[in-house]
Amino acid sequence: MRGNFIKPSAISKPSKRLGHIQANELPPLPPPYEDLNNLTLSGLKDEKIANIEASLDDTVAIGIPRPKNKEEEEKYIRAFLSGLRKLFEKKNNWGFLQPLLLSMEYCAKCQTCSDACPVFEMSGRQEIYRPTFRSEVFRRLYKKYIKPGGKLTSKLTGDIDLNWTTVARLAELAYRCTLCRRCASVCPIGVDNALITHEIRKLFSQEMGIAPKEIHEKGTLQHLRVGSTTGMNPVAVKDSMDFIQEEMEEITGYKLEIPWDKEGADILLLHNAGEVLAWPENVGAFAIIFQAAGISWTFSSEELGYDVVNYGLWYDDVQMARVAIKHAEIAKKLKVKKMIIGECGHAHKALAVIADRVLTGDLNIPRESGFVILDEIVSSGKIKFDPSRNNFPVTLHDPCNVVRAMGIVEPQRRILRKIAPQFREMTPHGVDNYCCGGGSGFAIMSGFNFAEWRTLVSSRKKFLQILDAFKGEPQDVPKYVCAPCSNCKGAIRDILEYYHAKERSHIYYGGLVELIVNAMVDMKKPMIKFDEESF
Amino acid sequence: MEELNWWEKEIKSSLYNELKFMIPEILFLRGVWLENRQVWKVSFPFHFGLYMLLATLVLLFVGAVAMIFGAKITAGGSTLSLLIYYLTILVGFIGLTLGTVGGTGLIYRRVSDPALKNYSSFADYFNLAFLFLFFVSGLLTWLFHDHAFDGARAYIYSLLTFGGQPEGYTSSRSFLGEGTIVLASLVMAYIPMTHMSHMFMKYFLYHFVRWEDKPNFKGSRIEAMILKNLGFKPTWAAGHIGADGEKTWVDIATSGPTRNK
Repeated sequence: MRGNFIKPSAISKPSKRLGHIQANELPPLPPPYEDLNNLTLSGLKDEKIANIEASLDDTVAIGIPRPKNKEEEEKYIRAFLSGLRKLFEKKNNWGFLQPLLLSMEYCAKCQTCSDACPVFEMSGRQEIYRPTFRSEVFRRLYKKYIKPGGKLTSKLTGDIDLNWTTVARLAELAYRCTLCRRCASVCPIGVDNALITHEIRKLFSQEMGIAPKEIHEKGTLQHLRVGSTTGMNPVAVKDSMDFIQEEMEEITGYKLEIPWDKEGADILLLHNAGEVLAWPENVGAFAIIFQAAGISWTFSSEELGYDVVNYGLWYDDVQMARVAIKHAEIAKKLKVKKMIIGECGHAHKALAVIADRVLTGDLNIPRESGFVILDEIVSSGKIKFDPSRNNFPVTLHDPCNVVRAMGIVEPQRRILRKIAPQFREMTPHGVDNYCCGGGSGFAIMSGFNFAEWRTLVSSRKKFLQILDAFKGEPQDVPKYVCAPCSNCKGAIRDILEYYHAKERSHIYYGGLVELIVNAMVDMKKPMIKFDEESF
Repeated sequence: MEELNWWEKEIKSSLYNELKFMIPEILFLRGVWLENRQVWKVSFPFHFGLYMLLATLVLLFVGAVAMIFGAKITAGGSTLSLLIYYLTILVGFIGLTLGTVGGTGLIYRRVSDPALKNYSSFADYFNLAFLFLFFVSGLLTWLFHDHAFDGARAYIYSLLTFGGQPEGYTSSRSFLGEGTIVLASLVMAYIPMTHMSHMFMKYFLYHFVRWEDKPNFKGSRIEAMILKNLGFKPTWAAGHIGADGEKTWVDIATSGPTRNK
């Protein structure tokens, strides 16, 4: 079935596939990437999808097992309806009920949101990815099954069949939106389609136990069980940090002391533990800056205390609350004055904003963005900088959760203006930015061919923005995409690799603190070495 | 949250900034102008027409009250009467015309643009057609029967005086005029029951969702509300939640997941 201009009701009609990505419909890449315009998704292998639901599009995020018989189908539908009811009950959803109801009732279907959505645009305007497609399906189910008299009035307000196909496709469709909320920011009325997507994910997780394994089993469950979504326990993380300390000294010539479990420190610094494994230089750079600025700070070696991620933010309120409470308990035990969140966008929103409606009493310990204290340090004059060490083109990616969701726009820019003489903005930027394409868990989801879908579709807009930011720069000049968020860095790493941007345009990526340390006069050796692995 | 130790700083809000944003947003649909120019071309006249008719209703009311106190709202009255008289005609005519033009455009766009058509239900068309009918009926009444809105003002007068008739006014009832009054009454009763009340609900969507950023401080009203909500007993059925209808949100959130699935 052709993906364009299908109606929301099509979701319930069984077919091999509802949407289809075609190379010639995707927005083209500029030179020297034209030869990659014919890239398309590798097909899903029949034997791999034989027993799972895969009829939405060309990829699979969850892989729900197909029901074996009619009874199982009915069971899924009953569970879905039960979860649907609970989403609209205060006792089950007090945190999000008000905005959900407002978004259910007042959409004028003007489609203003559609042009703001990078997934919809970059897919070649596949109808199933239109922000209102998913919302309208859900709205019709809400009106039909939750509102009084809904079954009678559904013929007038827009009917939809609720069957296995609808349920299974809706679950998958909830994982084709990065929750960047660009759609919500342009809606003239204030309707939030990303919130609707979030609530659909919650229904499936909290009622039916359905969620991508990367964010549930290997995510929040592992986080609460082992202490980190990376699988690192406290011993492993301390070992890794010892290694980071040694390496940082080797790289920069700067003697570093990493404080652990220091009771009464001013600050508990919390990183995305993925940094420790994938970008250890980021963790090391933070430590160098804090030490050089004379900050009283500490890491925690308690389970969860060294991993600030909170995947619950994307799909499950209970898991979100459990992780946030653990973080707060650790801070309380260490008697710190505040928690500082490192370069991790979703952790910013989870711990600083959403957990604000969970943490009470002594657990309500102040939480602050790492960008703010870094800005304070850089502006204070406590550390001497030589900006000429960063004299290469730098552009800044704005993590949606920090910038659009929290309004933290300027601190990171003030830093870059001071230490990066060739800093330039992407277009658009700030609160109007585009998602890296890896938001809401996409950066860590790679089952089947999902990572390929991400780089080809949801991250495509970011790649085009990066190329545009460096337009006119000589090919051989190294260029730096500053992406101060672990998820964003992961997604940007993947697009740069997928499109061979390092080889073709000399584009590299990294965090904000690496640039700060690179410009520090006290560093005997540069931290950023293009064409060399730092670690 | 852009400031160091933001929780120690005074939370600043500005009525001026709010009005600077909300007035162009409500009156001129600023957001639609910026993000969806094609829809703005038809949506703006439609909405502005409605606002103008609300203003006309206010002017008719003011005129009727003035008449109760003996004023004559005619082309030859006092300065104030003249102002009300001509302003009502001007505002009413513009409102009816813009509403008719905008309504026509909105219906046309919804029928002709697949991106809108495929998401429209019978109720969406009915709502638009209903308002369009009201605008057209009002415009035709103005054109053929009530150029100065005297009849409309006399109707408000009679409502306020429980059936009275303005002095010197000769009733000239018409099917169109009565139809418009019936339609106007129905529109006012019907709008709150539909998504069209977004004109008013926008306040809540902006203030309590989009802009709501009051932090939860120890001992605050927000904290009290959170504590109350944390006492609810959820019934989510997934195994890892561990809800049994007896445990509260606090019990569940402070315990580990019970099962993987």
